Amino acid sequence: MKKREISRRSVLQGSLMASALAGTASYFGPWKENRVWAQGTKPIKLGLTCDASGQYGNSGQDDLRGIQMAIDEANAKGGVLGRKITWITADTETTPATGSRIAERFITREDCTILIGAVHSGVANAITQVAAKNGVIYLNTNSSAPSEAGENCSRIKFVWDGNGTNFSKASVQNAVNSIGKNWMLLTNDYVWGHTTSAATKTQVEAAGGKIIDNLLVPQNTRDFTAYLLKIQQAKPDVVATAIGGDDIKALREQVAQLKLDGKPAWINNQQDWPDVWGAPNSLFGVFGTTWYHKLALPGVPEFVKKWQAANKEGSIPVPGNVSYNGYMATRELLRAIARAGSTNNVKIIKELENLKVSAADRMQHFDAYMDPVTHQMQQTIYLARRNAKPSDSTDLYEIISWTEPKAVADTDAAAKCKLVPYEQVPTVDS
Amino acid sequence: MFDLLPHVLNGLTLGLLFALIALGFMLIVGLMEQINLAHGSLFALGAYFAMQLLGPRPPLPPGITTAWLALPLDWRYAATLILAPLAAGLVGIAIEFCMRRTYGKDPMYGLLLTFGAAMVIEETIRLTWGTRDYVLQVPQAINGGFLFGDLIWSTYRFYAASIAAVIIGLVWLLIEKTPFGATVKAGAHDSEIVRALGINLTRLRLLVFFFGTMLAAIAGIIVAPIWGIRPHMGVDAVIPAFLVIVLGGVGSFWGAVVAGLLVGLAVGLCGAYASEWSLLSMYVLLVAVVTFRTRGLWGKKSVLEA
Repeated sequence: MKKREISRRSVLQGSLMASALAGTASYFGPWKENRVWAQGTKPIKLGLTCDASGQYGNSGQDDLRGIQMAIDEANAKGGVLGRKITWITADTETTPATGSRIAERFITREDCTILIGAVHSGVANAITQVAAKNGVIYLNTNSSAPSEAGENCSRIKFVWDGNGTNFSKASVQNAVNSIGKNWMLLTNDYVWGHTTSAATKTQVEAAGGKIIDNLLVPQNTRDFTAYLLKIQQAKPDVVATAIGGDDIKALREQVAQLKLDGKPAWINNQQDWPDVWGAPNSLFGVFGTTWYHKLALPGVPEFVKKWQAANKEGSIPVPGNVSYNGYMATRELLRAIARAGSTNNVKIIKELENLKVSAADRMQHFDAYMDPVTHQMQQTIYLARRNAKPSDSTDLYEIISWTEPKAVADTDAAAKCKLVPYEQVPTVDS
Repeated sequence: MFDLLPHVLNGLTLGLLFALIALGFMLIVGLMEQINLAHGSLFALGAYFAMQLLGPRPPLPPGITTAWLALPLDWRYAATLILAPLAAGLVGIAIEFCMRRTYGKDPMYGLLLTFGAAMVIEETIRLTWGTRDYVLQVPQAINGGFLFGDLIWSTYRFYAASIAAVIIGLVWLLIEKTPFGATVKAGAHDSEIVRALGINLTRLRLLVFFFGTMLAAIAGIIVAPIWGIRPHMGVDAVIPAFLVIVLGGVGSFWGAVVAGLLVGLAVGLCGAYASEWSLLSMYVLLVAVVTFRTRGLWGKKSVLEA
């Protein structure tokens, strides 16, 4: 049998041939991105900056499912302003530098005029800076550092999740009164953790409690035993965690294993659904959320069915708060474009700043509105705990309270947020 | 003093786990002078295979599956500790077959190949098991906590540290006290002479890689109940493994063990007393050591200086 050898020359020749064929095909072929579009029929292209790997890889992909669903719904109705919505996504890797690089590429090379998606606040802040420089609207769907609507706010950015202050306000006062005054903080050592724990500290002290220690947990910590030993030695009444993503999953496992989930009491600022799904048995303490798929509200069962039909292949069987936020943010953006009758960025921004959504439309208990000063969605905040009597395998939460937006408003954020005048926003039009 | 003791004990148990994670990596670097960047992915693969075997649907015909699942969890767990590493070892064999053409050449070829293998394994894990997280079931006897002093300790962590200590001892015996270990070390030192003596070096290297992969997989199974099972868990393993090897000195068995314990102590004590430094402490330790001893604590001239 003749031995076949691949020489460097043949590889080069093959590569050149393949490049030539690909180039020719894309020039003449039916690939829409190379066509010259008639005015008004060019698709509106969105850049979806969702993590697919790193600490928030799971959450980022769940965010993407919700965003895609809202886009598909709009396209099924003929798009927006008679224009189809197209999108591109890339893994922002839960890394601010990657987020920044991808945002730059989406805007300058991929011609995206709106960016959507983030779970990690550091990534969101990095994307914001690139978007602001270019005047591109950016929807921060799921990162919840108070700083995102405070000192890191931006005229072009809209924040859709509840933040650490909202969740603290919903939970701390009651916990200080009913459980105890000595609190310990367990804080992920990055912007969300720090700002969330700072918000908790303010609330605890205002309620007459005391912070006896704050343990900073580096991101990607997998072994929490040293922290748990320290907590046992300090004997606090309550431990308030601001730990996210894969880190909180590891922490939950270890707390449950040591049976420390009863005493001290645990308050986990927010619990994202993808972080819960893998290990329901270690769900402990009281935690905050913005939505739950078993909320006894009209429209929720239909939404869940629609989401399931759109995400048959997903690893998570029901929509959670992350997917919900991605969906709601994208749906409201597309509606805002339709109401503005234009893709001009300032016109859309003004529409979003005046956004009001009824409780029924948002499938929450209270009406929601966009704060025009901080650009954060003001919405119902739910407190939950593990459901002792689940109705099915997905029924992990027992919703124990719902608080209206004004009662948990982050009043400090308004003082810290300085939005630039509209005239200073570079003009962008799709 | 009594406040400090729990954290020292915690650091030492954590250190044994770090040493276990690094052991397979050390074996392949030390005896074959190949840096296996797929170590972390093989670590993850061990955990996934174990989860699959212990879980509700092992990939067997329905009758066998039912009979298998009818066995007590303790038995299944014990069998999994052997079967899952063997299965991962077969993947290691496939990687070694591909690596053969890189032996004796620029180490960059082996690095690139194992880096590629790591990506292939991680993507295969994503395609097979999805991106969701899993929890590895463990028998009741090694689960939960126990009181030591007035603190609750994790039973599983002490079990894991004990297993790590036993495996470290067995690996040492194999390398230092058996003809197999002597031949492999001789092969790493001077392959031409070993070949001239009529020893099949190709087969020896295959066995070393198979064995190193099994150790990575065992580490994955042991650590999984603490870290959880997720596709990128290998990245969390390969970085400390690499650090422990360099800190201990490439090719030094006891260097790796002592470095693992030092890293565990640094991470454990910082976690308690300077928590924001806990992960960074291992890197600070590495910088402090290699500043004064470039080959690590017990290093010898190696592939890294080629």
